[in-house]
Amino acid sequence: MDKIEALARGDALPGANAGWRRRAMLSGLGGALLAAPFIRPARAAGFPQRPIEVVTHAGVGGGTDITARMMMMQAPAELGGEMTVVNKTGGSGAAAIAYAASRPKDGHTLLLVTQSHILTMLRMRLPVQFDDLVPLARGTADAQVLMVRAGGPLRSADALREQGRSRSLKIGVTAVGSLDHVASFGFARAAALQPLSAVPFRGGGDIVVNLVGGNIDIGLLNYAEAESQITAGEVRPLLVLSDARIAALPDTPTAKEAGIDFSATVARGYCVLKGTPEDRVAKLREGLVRAMRTPAYGDYLASSGQSADSVAGAEGWARQLAEYQALSREALAELGLAR
Amino acid sequence: MEAFLSGMAVLADPFILGMTVAGTLLGVFVGALPGIGGSTTLALLLPLTIGINPIASLAFMGAVYCGANFGGSITAILVNSPGDPSASATALEGYKMAEKGEAGLALGMSAVASAIGGIFSVIVMIVAAPLLARAAYSFGPPEYFALALFGLSMCAAVGGDSPVKNLIAAAFGVALATVGIDLTTGVERFTFGLYDLTDGIGFVPVLIGLFALAEMFDQASRQHSLGKLLKLDSVRIPGMAEFRKCARSIVLGSGLGTFIGALPALGATTAALVSYNETRRWSKHKHEFGHGAIEGVAGPEAANNSAVGGAMVPTLALGIPGSSTTAIMLAALVVQGVRPGPHLFNEQPTLLYAVFASMLAANLIYLVLGLYSAKLFARISMVPPALLWPAVFVLSVIGAYGPNQSMGEVYLMLFFGVVGLLFRRHGFSPAPLVMGLVLGSLLEESLKQSLLIFQDGWVLGFLGRPIALLLIGVTLLGLGAPWVLRLVARLRGPAGRRVA
Amino acid sequence: MSRPTPFLWRDRRVALAVAAVALAFLAGTFSFDAVPAALMEGMGASEFPRLVGFVILLLALVLALQPAPAEEEALPAINRCGWATFAACLAFLAVMALAGMLVAMFAFMVGVGWLWGERRPGVLLASAGGMVLCLWLLFVRVFGLTLPGGLLGDMLFN
Repeated sequence: MDKIEALARGDALPGANAGWRRRAMLSGLGGALLAAPFIRPARAAGFPQRPIEVVTHAGVGGGTDITARMMMMQAPAELGGEMTVVNKTGGSGAAAIAYAASRPKDGHTLLLVTQSHILTMLRMRLPVQFDDLVPLARGTADAQVLMVRAGGPLRSADALREQGRSRSLKIGVTAVGSLDHVASFGFARAAALQPLSAVPFRGGGDIVVNLVGGNIDIGLLNYAEAESQITAGEVRPLLVLSDARIAALPDTPTAKEAGIDFSATVARGYCVLKGTPEDRVAKLREGLVRAMRTPAYGDYLASSGQSADSVAGAEGWARQLAEYQALSREALAELGLAR
Repeated sequence: MEAFLSGMAVLADPFILGMTVAGTLLGVFVGALPGIGGSTTLALLLPLTIGINPIASLAFMGAVYCGANFGGSITAILVNSPGDPSASATALEGYKMAEKGEAGLALGMSAVASAIGGIFSVIVMIVAAPLLARAAYSFGPPEYFALALFGLSMCAAVGGDSPVKNLIAAAFGVALATVGIDLTTGVERFTFGLYDLTDGIGFVPVLIGLFALAEMFDQASRQHSLGKLLKLDSVRIPGMAEFRKCARSIVLGSGLGTFIGALPALGATTAALVSYNETRRWSKHKHEFGHGAIEGVAGPEAANNSAVGGAMVPTLALGIPGSSTTAIMLAALVVQGVRPGPHLFNEQPTLLYAVFASMLAANLIYLVLGLYSAKLFARISMVPPALLWPAVFVLSVIGAYGPNQSMGEVYLMLFFGVVGLLFRRHGFSPAPLVMGLVLGSLLEESLKQSLLIFQDGWVLGFLGRPIALLLIGVTLLGLGAPWVLRLVARLRGPAGRRVA
Repeated sequence: MSRPTPFLWRDRRVALAVAAVALAFLAGTFSFDAVPAALMEGMGASEFPRLVGFVILLLALVLALQPAPAEEEALPAINRCGWATFAACLAFLAVMALAGMLVAMFAFMVGVGWLWGERRPGVLLASAGGMVLCLWLLFVRVFGLTLPGGLLGDMLFN
């Protein structure tokens, strides 16, 4: 009991003052209005001056939301200030992007960027375009694994290629125009298969169930999503869509080994918007990477079958984003989904 | 058995027991707040629970989950605001009981039915999880389509007295469920360019609006600067007579809830609504429904709490979460080093049984809490309306805003408050609308997925799915049975009239 | 409060309103974007909503054809307090946009409490203050949510 109370208190303390200040001012309107002009310059000294907002498009409890909360176990200490998650769901990231664009560009607003955001920027007219993103650090990079039902006709990469050329295979994806929809398009092209027929589901869990149930032929999933089915021998991981084999599946070849030049990872990372002062960008880049190199965050990565090098600095993250943008632009145009 | 006992023994550790008690209390409290439920709470507290030892943190989360589902019924009964979507079925009869001055009876029954349902499902989870979990694999889109049809086929009978109006409300619910980006084509429908609508209309703002706000507007119109006089026996709690009356609905609700909860695509809300229908259908006191039937509280409460244990089945045995709350628990379990899957039951039994133990304990804690505090809570319904309803409004606003931190949800809630008021003035019930909204998207999506999956057209496709056919058959039987019974009664003459 | 049933008795007027909403809904289904040709498999985006729209129209017709009651009960009027409460909800939104959610909540609880007949200022202030304090503690301090601060809050803290 003591332990959690201490933790709760530890969490609450740094912000207690700021919070009280806010409330006192809001209720004592007149005084606050008068005081405001005098307070502002006085507080402009350090960074961060107020809680840093991490804006995500996932609802509270979604996978991306949890990524942010895991990062925030350490980051506030590294950056020397409070952090809070702001969930702006809707529009596959459009609402989150719009919110971030509406905030001052002073480093107090981080945008948790996923590939969905890139796709959304390509599909919708938004106040922020790809070039406005200033990458800070990558938090996760989870290889997509092409999985089939164990005991089904698709026993190997060769069988997949052979059958995929004679008929249109059914693939479970999480939504139309989503990350794995784009990936499935890219994979089919790289492997010279007939265009896959996409069956959209609500989430990875549904795809696993339908894979085992024999309703679809293949699924593009992260290792952790189907871990228990792989262990139980119900789902067969056929190809890992990353440049190197992953630790959790040492016996599963990569697509490149099987002669299919294609890779796809699910990546999440942090960006600020163009216009943020350089020194703050530098401080955020450094602080975030340090916060995500801690053992607690490492446990989180390991739990989803990822290695520690999922965390990457600004350079690697920027490169990945740019590559992804190029692939997506092409894929969306082919699928007829581009703006 | 050994593992089971050592699992139970963790409760002897004062720290873990303390966490379980704290989790239950917190769960009941947040569950009672409209909009904020177990899933939101667990997600927000996740970083805290990861810092402590795995067993204690799992015990805490299991307890929050169980407590929150029970807590939802408290506000549903007292102020017609389901604290959790799964308590909306409870509000139907529970609030009517509170209006009659039987708040204590309803609260007490809810506590007992919830605890029985909850404990039943935890036991099922212990005994049959790996087996029951296999059922999930047999349920693909065609089967879910048939299930959604089955649920919707009941709508004519739920809620108000006019079947036509009930069907209209249900159809509106299904229509609302089409708002947002269409899953299978990616086309935006009725979003008017608003981001808040692209993911569809959330249950929480609709429920809070239809139930709580509509009630407030209604009360406002009846304000003559004096609150309604409540009868003095509102603090009476249920006795043997009531339990005997509800035994059947509790058993029925527990069974239905566990099964429906164990299917990954369906949750406690569906379980409670289906159980409400079935309770009504098999009740010997049908005429009481809609006017504060205690069985109508017992059935859904047993169901939505047994769905908790049910939802843990695929989560633990397959690693596939059955609800948003279990999705967060799954994330937390995995971070703590628990690998879900069939092997979990052999490899880490102590940890597993500790979760079971804490869930059992949570059910017992809120049973005691519920029974002892029913009298206390019931007094809330005696708080003067001038203080109570503005507070309910304020809670509703923050409940609608909280989970997605979105003002759009608050506007939506106000809009549905007005819809709810119009509904009740013209003799419509919100219950079928909620069912339509909950099952509508499942109906459409599973139908479209089925069409994508079937190789040789939909007729042959459905013919090849025995479970789906069976469910469709049951649906037709349920729709046709009253007519057949009436016909039989007529043929048998006056003696058989009782049957109809 | 009852009068002989007119031709357009209450449920018929309701049926008309239902039909109007259904028609608007059906009209909306024609405004959807086209489904990209590459995805045109199975069922499109507008078939299901159209089906639902037609079902509602049909049900409205059935409702209109129900036998009329012998005489019609007048609806209880929405009194002044009802309208005022509704106005207070709209005012709540305005205050929230201006001064933030917590301030608006406090004002709403005091205002509507007074409107509904509670006249003791101490009781009103205490219940509103206590409630807002509890919400602030739980949501802002424990859960760490950001509540809308309104124009004023943005001005002060950005």
